[in-house]
Amino acid sequence: MTSATLLRRITDYAARADPYPLYAELRRTPVARQEDGVYAVSTYWEIAGLLHDPRLSSDPRNRVPTAGEEDILEEEQGLPPSFLRLDPPEHDRLRRLATRPFGPPDSPRRVSDMRGDLARMVSGLIDGLRDRERADIVEDFAYPFPVMVICKLLGVPHEDEERFHVWAEAIVAGLDPGEEGEGPAERRRAAQRARMELGRYLAGLIEDHRRAPGGDMLSALAAGHGDRERMSPLELVVTAVLLLIAGHETTVNLITNGMLTLLRHPDALRRLREEPGLAVPLVEELLRYEPPVQLLPQRTALADIDVGGVTIPRGAPVWLVLASGNRDPRRFPDPDRFDPGRTGNEHLGFGGGIHYCFGAPLARLEAQVALTELARRLVEPRLVTDPPPYRRNPVLRGPRHLPVAFDGCVP
Amino acid sequence: MDLNRCEAYAQCAFQAPDVFAMHGEEALMYEPCPGDERREQVMRAAASCPVQAILVEWPGGPAVPEGAATGARG
Repeated sequence: MTSATLLRRITDYAARADPYPLYAELRRTPVARQEDGVYAVSTYWEIAGLLHDPRLSSDPRNRVPTAGEEDILEEEQGLPPSFLRLDPPEHDRLRRLATRPFGPPDSPRRVSDMRGDLARMVSGLIDGLRDRERADIVEDFAYPFPVMVICKLLGVPHEDEERFHVWAEAIVAGLDPGEEGEGPAERRRAAQRARMELGRYLAGLIEDHRRAPGGDMLSALAAGHGDRERMSPLELVVTAVLLLIAGHETTVNLITNGMLTLLRHPDALRRLREEPGLAVPLVEELLRYEPPVQLLPQRTALADIDVGGVTIPRGAPVWLVLASGNRDPRRFPDPDRFDPGRTGNEHLGFGGGIHYCFGAPLARLEAQVALTELARRLVEPRLVTDPPPYRRNPVLRGPRHLPVAFDGCVP
Repeated sequence: MDLNRCEAYAQCAFQAPDVFAMHGEEALMYEPCPGDERREQVMRAAASCPVQAILVEWPGGPAVPEGAATGARG
């Protein structure tokens, strides 16, 4: 099998439960041109270098469209791109403004102050499993928990979940570059429509928060910070869409992948139960070993870039396969081993460089609290099926369901 | 703190706000000898640093070279 078809095999649903042998094959050619013109980068140092390279753009408008991608520019006519898909200086300005009510330097305690709320939410969800012997970790826990968290953080009414869930699913499906189902072009169009709908919903909500502000992030963003620069109303809506989607469609996979990995490694599960502090390095190892964002398929070369003995030509699409770099034996000793105490864990699970995951501190805290409590409270948890059924998406990868049997819950 | 490694991701300032603080977007200020009550915060900060720039050592305990980047190239 040549490397030309490897990426197609990776995005194929058949590879979803275990793409790692294919990544190992991909790493034999660190920078591999695929037959459709995509350059797949799969080794640690090459990915890390490109994450810091200003010649690699996140803005799809820099792309020379390949066959079937002619609608990419049309897509951008819906809502303008969020900072996730912008380059400096616009990226920097919008991310800085979004950070003001979220983290340092202006709001260093926003996330750590949520710890108590998070613990209460987790307790409540596990209490709901008390009289049961089976649960779907996704539906009963890993999906509802991050939704509660992001709603609380942003100030989105939790009872609207049914409405925005449908839009969120369509937007996330639009990130799927695979050929399955109705095809990538149709998925992108559906995602564009959903993004508009969600934007309209959030615009109304932002207006409500402007009139009657609360302690949440949307209120703070809508109010701005005095006379300093602020987001335009449209930028605010686009940022709110990004935060709502990113805040719940990735953490669900981090928690589910975490529980699956713990159930496959009973020693780690036992250690976590006895030693809750282990959750901190364990979650980092999880981000290396089973990252919820497997690859970044939306970068474009702004110039000819020499990397890994290959010249990526200007305008070419570049995929950074983070999950493969995380298993690179030239960077991580024994990379296919899940080692919850691993030190020096400079994983690529949250990306790197200027687009390093905005919500990383919150995702870490959610996963630490969730996995510690699941490990502590579920009695003799075990997998019902292994591997579990996966979602279709190869980018935001995780189980669709995670059926688990157990012998009750301790308080 | 290995400030040659630090890239101002600010993860430490989220995890241990009593020990690490961002001054503006790029300058990091930190308490070099935080008390034992800050230990958990510091361990969280060290583990979450994307470039493993935080070296943790507690008096009386073994050095915990969180930043000893195995396999880092020179």
